[in-house]
Amino acid sequence: MANQKYNLKEEIEQVREDCLRPTRKWGRSTQIWIGSLLMVMAWGLYCYIHQLRNGLGVTAMRNYVSWGLYISTFVFFIGISHSGTLVSAILRITKQEWRRPITRSAELLTFVSLLFGGIMPIIDLGRPDRIANLVIFGRVQSPLLWDVISILTYFTGSTVFLFLPMIPDMALCRDRLKVCETKFDKFRKWLYTKMALGWQGTKTQWHRLELTMTIMTIVIIPVAVSVHTVVSYIFAMTLRPGWNSTVFGPYFVAGALYSGSAGVILGMVAFRKLYSLEKYITPRHFDLMGRIVLALTMIYAYLNLNEYWIPAYKMATAEGHLLNDLFSGSYSIAFWTCQFGTVLIPIIVLAIPAGRKLIPITITCIIIVLGAWVKRYLIVVPTLLHPFMPIQEVPGSWSTYFPNYVEFSVTAACLAGIFLVITLFAKMFPMMAVWEVEEGIQIEYDKQAAIELREQRETEEAKNILGNAGTANEPIIQQA
Amino acid sequence: MKMKSIINKITLSIIFTSLICVISTAQDKSEVKSKRETAIEMSYNKKADKSKIAVALVTAKNEAGKFIPANNVQVNFYAKHNNDEQLIKSANTNNKGEANILLPKDLPLNDSMYFNIIAKIENNNQFENAQEQMHFKEANLSFSLDSKDTNRMVIAKVTEMSKDGKEIPVKGVELKFYVCRLFGTMPASEDNNITTDDKGEASFAYPKNIPGSTEGVITLVAKIENNEKFGSIENKVAEPWGTVLAIEKEPFPRALWEPTAPFPLVITISSLFGGVWLVYFFLFYQLKKIKEETKIKTVKN
Repeated sequence: MANQKYNLKEEIEQVREDCLRPTRKWGRSTQIWIGSLLMVMAWGLYCYIHQLRNGLGVTAMRNYVSWGLYISTFVFFIGISHSGTLVSAILRITKQEWRRPITRSAELLTFVSLLFGGIMPIIDLGRPDRIANLVIFGRVQSPLLWDVISILTYFTGSTVFLFLPMIPDMALCRDRLKVCETKFDKFRKWLYTKMALGWQGTKTQWHRLELTMTIMTIVIIPVAVSVHTVVSYIFAMTLRPGWNSTVFGPYFVAGALYSGSAGVILGMVAFRKLYSLEKYITPRHFDLMGRIVLALTMIYAYLNLNEYWIPAYKMATAEGHLLNDLFSGSYSIAFWTCQFGTVLIPIIVLAIPAGRKLIPITITCIIIVLGAWVKRYLIVVPTLLHPFMPIQEVPGSWSTYFPNYVEFSVTAACLAGIFLVITLFAKMFPMMAVWEVEEGIQIEYDKQAAIELREQRETEEAKNILGNAGTANEPIIQQA
Repeated sequence: MKMKSIINKITLSIIFTSLICVISTAQDKSEVKSKRETAIEMSYNKKADKSKIAVALVTAKNEAGKFIPANNVQVNFYAKHNNDEQLIKSANTNNKGEANILLPKDLPLNDSMYFNIIAKIENNNQFENAQEQMHFKEANLSFSLDSKDTNRMVIAKVTEMSKDGKEIPVKGVELKFYVCRLFGTMPASEDNNITTDDKGEASFAYPKNIPGSTEGVITLVAKIENNEKFGSIENKVAEPWGTVLAIEKEPFPRALWEPTAPFPLVITISSLFGGVWLVYFFLFYQLKKIKEETKIKTVKN
């Protein structure tokens, strides 16, 4: 037991060291990476200012397609944000021990994708200064107002959900950072101190933290589901071919969970490689996450079938034009690539155990994430180009749409923003919940110790029984 | 030395003066260059309340050589009589390039009973001088409605003033009839061009099925539009000839998107989001407590 205690202490120390090590190094490669991201963002900002000055006419969007790449990206980012809810909240609530090393990256992905996802509709506005009017003069019966409220609620919840398990880790960072030689170190010390909320690990503090985390874990799941349902309502509550659907709510939620969990796996791959976390994020994690993605892909495939099969059976006039365009028209390549490439193939690959190994699962998840993005585009754009009233006597550019350099640049800047926030976060804070991993190790040791203790007791009891049996039998032997 | 300094001073003053001349000439040239070519179009409207309005539409050439409406240009309006020009009023153009003035009632008339108005752009820094004139004869457009028979007839009469102050009917004037709607006017009949007869009268049968107000009142408008002799004249009359507009009490039964949010929807959304935010506030309170416990412990120590 003494040896075990020594090993436990050593192992916990090792966990702390492994988690905090990346926060101490700001190597040349990190600086180059951050520099390139800032350059992409600066170019995107320039293009956005150009758009602000000259209006949305500088984009490829016109009267019919007024929701183009920006709104497709918005739906995609909101979908990715479901990763944190799934991996962190659902696995936490079901007490899956293996979740511990991956919860933080999932929660961070949620926070960041929501942050930038929420910006996309504002970018899509010709007059973003009027965004406050949506709230000031908002109508309770408008899905747009529901969307603003639910995204704001989910963003607040996700921020709290990311922050809560960080409190003990912030205290650890604060206590470990004893020598502050540079101004940056002083800033970090100040930040850790503020974020730790004076954490000292008392019994009452632990009790309060566990209470808040349990409540938050329960609350965040329906909030997350409501957010993507409401996002789907923006489309489904309008009378347009392709959007006039009753399964849009669950269809969007399933699509979000499927792409979000694939996003988490990609995050796991990146952090595992970059921060040498192979010891903690093991092949078992990929195998289990692969199973989850497989299950979600199958649910998504089922809803996908419903979404297209039922209207395709009827082929009602306006809906028929849209479906013809998707199945065999100008969007057919993208549509069938999405259906087979990002739904059917992932199901086949992930169903095989070898497909859930590091390299195949990474490739599959990249395909899923990119496919999810294209799918959002296919939900938004073709419908706008197939209104109930036929498009007639309009300039040629109004009846087609493909994003131009302004839209690609601004979207790329938002994506770069996501990577930048993740990079800065990973360089400032531990990318694994240190105390949760420690708790996991402690539980494992306790289990091991309990097993050893039980075995020891059983042996002793067996010896005692055997001993007692020996003395009880003596008179009989003597009598004999 | 003295002579030299005088020569120097003279040379300097010549250079300075010539520089000023060059600069001022350049400025003049640039001013001449920057002045835009301007054009004026005039029109005359006599409203239903008998007010007479002169409108000058000012357009100026842009860099591409196209005439576009010019904003904020001062236009002077003159009344011309026997080669005398008397300033009536000045007005600036709006963003449509239009400058409007209300004409006085006692405009000087010539022997043919025409009045003459001139619009001028004068001494403007940005726009070239321009002028345009119009001359119109004063006329009256009156209404009478006949609803004795089953057919409702609208009769409009056009008269002009003679020298001795009598009203003389005018033949062959094209009239148009409209009904006022919320955001404009609607033609009252498909065959909208009706011409006055020898008596100066024009009539048409008013259709019965045009919706009116909640009391069934409609406003009829008769117009003479851009007539060469009389300009534009209009007259209005309100009459309960329309069908009574019945306002539906529940125009959107059971629709969640109806103009006033249904109470159950408000309650559902408020309670859902309100519930979540209440939980958040409880969590924030717990976080505050975590922070406070440290302070208490520090004080105890």
